[in-house]
Amino acid sequence: MTQLERGQTATWPFVTRKQTSRVGQHVLVYALGLLFVFFSIVPLIWGVSTALKTMNDQYSFPPRWIPDPVTFEHFISVLNNHTIIRGFFNTLIVSISTTAIALVVGVLGGYGFSRFRFPGRNTLLWSVLFTQLFPRVVVIVPFFITLRNLHLMNTLPGLILVYLMVVFPVSIWLVKGFFDRIPVEIEEAAVVDGCTIPRLLWRIVLPMSKPALVAAAMYSFVLAWNEFLFALVFTQGLERRPLSVALAFFIDENGIRWGELMAASLLMSIPAVIVFTVSQRLLVRGLSEGALRG
Amino acid sequence: MGAGQGQRFAVSRARWRRAALQQWGPGYVLVLPAMALIAVMMINPTLETAWFSVSTVRLPTFETTFVGLSNFVNIIADPATGRLLQRTVWWVVGTVVLRFILGFLAALVFNAKVRGTTWMRVLVVLPWTIPSVVAANLWRWILQSDTGILDQTLRAWGLAGAARNWLGDPGTALPAVMVAYSWAGFPFIMLLILAGLQGVPGEHYEAAEVDGANWWHLFRYITVPAVRGVLVIALVLETVSAINSFDTLTVMTGGGPANATQTWSLAIYRAGFADFNLGGASALSVLLFLGALALLTIYSAANKGSQIKQAP
Repeated sequence: MTQLERGQTATWPFVTRKQTSRVGQHVLVYALGLLFVFFSIVPLIWGVSTALKTMNDQYSFPPRWIPDPVTFEHFISVLNNHTIIRGFFNTLIVSISTTAIALVVGVLGGYGFSRFRFPGRNTLLWSVLFTQLFPRVVVIVPFFITLRNLHLMNTLPGLILVYLMVVFPVSIWLVKGFFDRIPVEIEEAAVVDGCTIPRLLWRIVLPMSKPALVAAAMYSFVLAWNEFLFALVFTQGLERRPLSVALAFFIDENGIRWGELMAASLLMSIPAVIVFTVSQRLLVRGLSEGALRG
Repeated sequence: MGAGQGQRFAVSRARWRRAALQQWGPGYVLVLPAMALIAVMMINPTLETAWFSVSTVRLPTFETTFVGLSNFVNIIADPATGRLLQRTVWWVVGTVVLRFILGFLAALVFNAKVRGTTWMRVLVVLPWTIPSVVAANLWRWILQSDTGILDQTLRAWGLAGAARNWLGDPGTALPAVMVAYSWAGFPFIMLLILAGLQGVPGEHYEAAEVDGANWWHLFRYITVPAVRGVLVIALVLETVSAINSFDTLTVMTGGGPANATQTWSLAIYRAGFADFNLGGASALSVLLFLGALALLTIYSAANKGSQIKQAP
């Protein structure tokens, strides 16, 4: 140790020790980080690689990670696969409708719970939270009975109704949490000027609440897009089945065509990956806040 | 709804109280859609399930006959039930622990604020973003016997003895699905804990280091208390989701081989929609619900208890 360093150590006993240990710490963090990256994306890379490989190369030994030649034949056959295209449109219709209705229910409920105090408010808020924490698999029998009573079994509206039950509590919590942080003074002034509640919501509150609306919409959309259990139980036959069910039972008389399955999986993942990557911070905060307050 | 009574419930702010919005009416109207959903899809079906669980349900007419507790007696008398319960508990505990270890470790790594790790964090989160059916299919392909990449790689490395039919062997099927399930879920825990860690000022660590604290002290007395709330939330959410989990198991193994991956949730599905025994499926649902409720009550009590203990 040189004289200078010793002098520093005397003044701040921890500085020099920290400087040397910091390099080691950075290397450790970097190495562990890379390990996690490896764990997370190696399976994904194998999926992408399978989707771009010719049929003959798929079982090659030793395994080849980089497709050579690259082929898009699996993507083309996916786009010509009636079951998958049908499933895609079913999923799209259900996801968009669920999102739209969940937003309406969420905004109305969120505003009602945030701005009004009425008898039974806490009980109702609790029941919303409880709905969110209700194990989903427990309700497949009751939902089955209800959809049958409403004559909505094996219909897309039935599926939308069922998905709404899953997403509306989160939608309300996200929106309510956001409204709670907006000061009420602006609304008060508008009410004094004779503004009605629908106008108030549409003109003043909603334009201020875009982040919450975006988060609620994204959550609803992705949940409906990815959902499998309800889709499996409440739809039958190729015509009504969403994409998730089509992919789960992607098999024909020749077995599973993995290249095609991975290509379709890749296409199905794109919306979910984009939404989650863009909005993860909002979503994580919203989800944890909902649970925290309950 | 008298005005005097209304004031008791009104918000304390004086101006707000005077505003027209204080009325209860609009509040009820606004929350009505949500309440209608809960009434139609939650309260009514829950009551009906409770009724079904003590009935025999004849299909397709849905005629019910009251049979008392015989559905429950059948479940308890079934010799497979003990194994099913054991497997379900093992699945829930195993996946929650695995997800927590991975998620916590990843959060600590990516909270270190080392330059050039942001791109890593984005990539690490990817498994959480893909649909569960996609993740399950991907792992089914990876773990396929002989032709799967895992067995192929093991063989290419001269470890042919370690290669096996991962999902077809009752000994390895459940752990294999657990790994796949944890792979897809740990980034969520990581993000939750990262969000909790963001609130901890760096000075706390520096001050503690000055006082001679080692890494374990820092972790135990600064990091863990700071993320305690988040950990409880994550524990609740993950427990519910593990109890719920159906997609990964169904797609990867369908409960097989020889029921080695059959959990309670798969049993409900099988009873109701493969065997069409809606009474039995309802009884299984009621039991699972009570189990989940008991767990959440224990968590909540434990959380409150330790909070009181920590208070000065």
